[in-house]
Amino acid sequence: MPIKSINGCIGCEECIKSCPTDVIRLNPDSKKAEILYPEDCQICHLCRMYCPVDAIVITPDKSIPVIVSWG
Amino acid sequence: MKTETNNLSRRKFIALAGGGVGFAAIAGLGMNIDWALNNPEIDADTILKNTINTDVLVVGGGMAGLFAAVKAHDAGAKVMLVSKGRLGASGQTPFAKGIFAYDKEKEKLSIDEFVAKVSRSALGTNNQTYTRQLAEHSLARVNELKEWGFFESSLYNKSFSKPIEERNIPMHERVTITHLIKEDDRVVGAAGFSIDEQKVLFYQAKSVILCTGAGGFKPNGFPICDLTHDGTVMAYNIGAKVTGKEWNDGHPARGENPAACYDGWGDMFEQKPSTTSIEVRHDLGVDMNYMAYMSGGVAQMGRPGMGKQENSVSGGPYRPEEFSSEKGQGGPSKDGEKDGKRPPRKDGEDRPPRKEGEDGPPGKEGKGGPPGMGGGVVGGSSAGMSIHKAEGLVPINDTCESTIPGLYAAGDALGSYMAGGIYTQIGSSLSGSAVQGAIAGETAAKYSKNIKAHSISASKLNAIEEDILAPLKKEAGYSPAWVTQTLQSIMIPNFIIYIKKENLMKAALAYVEELRDHHVPHLRASNLHELRLAHETKNMVISAEMKLRASLMRKESRCSHYRLDYPELDNENWQAWINIFKAEDGTMQLEKQPFNTWATVETNSKVEFNS
Amino acid sequence: MKTQSYILRFSVLIITFIGMPLFLYFSGNFQKRTTLMETISIVTILGFSLLLSQFFTSRLNYKLMKKIRMVNVVAIHRFIGYLFISILIFHPFFIIIPKFFDNGVTPSDAFLRLITTFSSTGIILGLIAYASMLILMITAFFRFKLHLHYKTWRNLHGYLTLFFVIAATWHVVDMGRHSNMSFSIYYILMVAIGMFYLIRTNLFKTAKK
Repeated sequence: MPIKSINGCIGCEECIKSCPTDVIRLNPDSKKAEILYPEDCQICHLCRMYCPVDAIVITPDKSIPVIVSWG
Repeated sequence: MKTETNNLSRRKFIALAGGGVGFAAIAGLGMNIDWALNNPEIDADTILKNTINTDVLVVGGGMAGLFAAVKAHDAGAKVMLVSKGRLGASGQTPFAKGIFAYDKEKEKLSIDEFVAKVSRSALGTNNQTYTRQLAEHSLARVNELKEWGFFESSLYNKSFSKPIEERNIPMHERVTITHLIKEDDRVVGAAGFSIDEQKVLFYQAKSVILCTGAGGFKPNGFPICDLTHDGTVMAYNIGAKVTGKEWNDGHPARGENPAACYDGWGDMFEQKPSTTSIEVRHDLGVDMNYMAYMSGGVAQMGRPGMGKQENSVSGGPYRPEEFSSEKGQGGPSKDGEKDGKRPPRKDGEDRPPRKEGEDGPPGKEGKGGPPGMGGGVVGGSSAGMSIHKAEGLVPINDTCESTIPGLYAAGDALGSYMAGGIYTQIGSSLSGSAVQGAIAGETAAKYSKNIKAHSISASKLNAIEEDILAPLKKEAGYSPAWVTQTLQSIMIPNFIIYIKKENLMKAALAYVEELRDHHVPHLRASNLHELRLAHETKNMVISAEMKLRASLMRKESRCSHYRLDYPELDNENWQAWINIFKAEDGTMQLEKQPFNTWATVETNSKVEFNS
Repeated sequence: MKTQSYILRFSVLIITFIGMPLFLYFSGNFQKRTTLMETISIVTILGFSLLLSQFFTSRLNYKLMKKIRMVNVVAIHRFIGYLFISILIFHPFFIIIPKFFDNGVTPSDAFLRLITTFSSTGIILGLIAYASMLILMITAFFRFKLHLHYKTWRNLHGYLTLFFVIAATWHVVDMGRHSNMSFSIYYILMVAIGMFYLIRTNLFKTAKK
């Protein structure tokens, strides 16, 4: 998975707002950020960089091979 | 999900079968139709409506949008800024780290010489007025950015928020604008929806500035998956002329984990921005695509000490000689420095200097790739994107005005040809957006002063609302993700979008038309996230059609447009840009517009130009 | 025999409050960060488990108290108390340390965002715990200047601790970076036993003393 986990979330929503592709949402019960649409992650790390508490872990891989121009 | 198939109730089955002939046929065959079912998480009928009035509506929260909003406000207009994402944290702006500032005290070249040099590299494809405007205004914009603290952080939201908050400019973030509204032959507003609240939003505005950036096919390896040419397609839908679709941004990605754009760019996204001075190149072309095509998919990028990469493939895209020298003027390098998204390196910086032909996806030396990396790269990481500032709405003058009264565009949403059909001045993309945003803002404010507020008709609002919410109301349909993937597999291969040939483009066009006519109308969405995807997918399909038609029309090779069947420059017939517009009958029409002329509102397809 | 017994008891304490969290930390599938941040994480986790051990290095641990002299118990209790407080007092600042090493959000902005996210239960609990920890520390430090009757002091200290521990543990379980199921069970178990001792001592054994 591209965006892998969020540990130690304080629920400030910085990552949610900063994600260009709307991958993360606030869980209404726990009031914490939750990775809801990981398939749309573009692995740009903005969420991780905006997170004030260094909670987000991202890996460079996608779960399925992606379409490129040659390969 | 699986259980639902088995327990599919009779009523549901009937409803589903009635949903669409195609689905009925499948259902009739007794096939598993689970994949097509829409399971809405929200009730489209309970979605609220909201209408907001403003003088100037700025769509987009990147560099262009920031300046458009600030300058329109400072010119006395009531401004509203709407962004699909977050101010300074969506589109390409957050990843652009080099910003060009022409400082006449420091530069050896005069503005005239600079413009001439850009035109030479661009093979005439640039609009000299916009190239000049960039040089004239860039330093002033950069100085304003400095005041707001732009150069103090790698993240731009804080510095962008400063002037917006100081001016109390109202802002809607995470709102996807899907429609521009035209009545009485002018723009009267826009409409869209929030992805957080169940709300359809109507903006009644005297003028609209599209700062919506460029776009692509949600390609992997470049941070543009939120950019789907929304502005261009919305404007096209209300009759605006758009341009620049045949050009290509030829960014590659690493062979290993090609989707990881952060990793591909090394630590560049973590850098603070900095200014660049004159460095005119001939970049972002499709040289590497040609090399890979001719050598059977192998694009090997050398690194210092790994053997110098020799371009053993002859032919291919033409590059003016003075821009292919070993030093400085841009060889086929496609690393981060291209497009100014990397601050200029200085001697003694932590990063080893890159050499020409070292290409490649930008890799962070040492940490970045796996050991021995520096080899395999794959193409198409920015597939679907044209050259910065070369695609978008056709301007009718030097104030970012489109062919529709009241509609303006700035930055990558404006086909200003500031750089040309090839990327020329390093760092000009970001400063060009700032410069054009400011000009569009001032012009729109001035225009709005003489315009009376317009109340959009209720019938129009209802029709638009229906259109916005349609995917949510589908009983069954295609998932936006699948249609996007299908589009990607049609468009992204090297032999379609980069190394162009008539027969293959026609074949691809047939596929794209199929998606347009028989799949886009059946896009489904079960929530607001998917609703956004559905609208984005719709726009990408239109954009793909534009790219193919424009590429088919330009029967020559120039800058980043390369035709295998027409590999030469054709100065006799093609000193012209291609404009695309929607005809009265809804069909896509194309026309030529001679270089360095202004577009007219009427179609000038009959214009002869052999001068 | 007597010596051996309290060495055994101390070993149990060390294993429970140092060995166990370390075991859970290394056996858990946690994302590793930089060496500096991992070290800080371990120190913070141990700081918190030491705090929980305070229940068992006090008068509540009747058996231990009988084995060694009360003076020593108080010394150990005081030492651990000041140790964990001096770790946990920096805990909110530890979290934003990575912000000193990048060009993004400034440490002060990150800190401000951290302590003002009032929409989060975990943050509110953390703030409450932090404040009560400060009160605990100050009252303990100036215990004799307060001129309280011993029993009043003991009740104050006990109930304040109870309040603090509940808020702190809830905070940790709710938003701890390493609060997986095993850690949460461990913390809650320790707090439950500690509370049992505290309540038993304060409510039922008062007469005895």
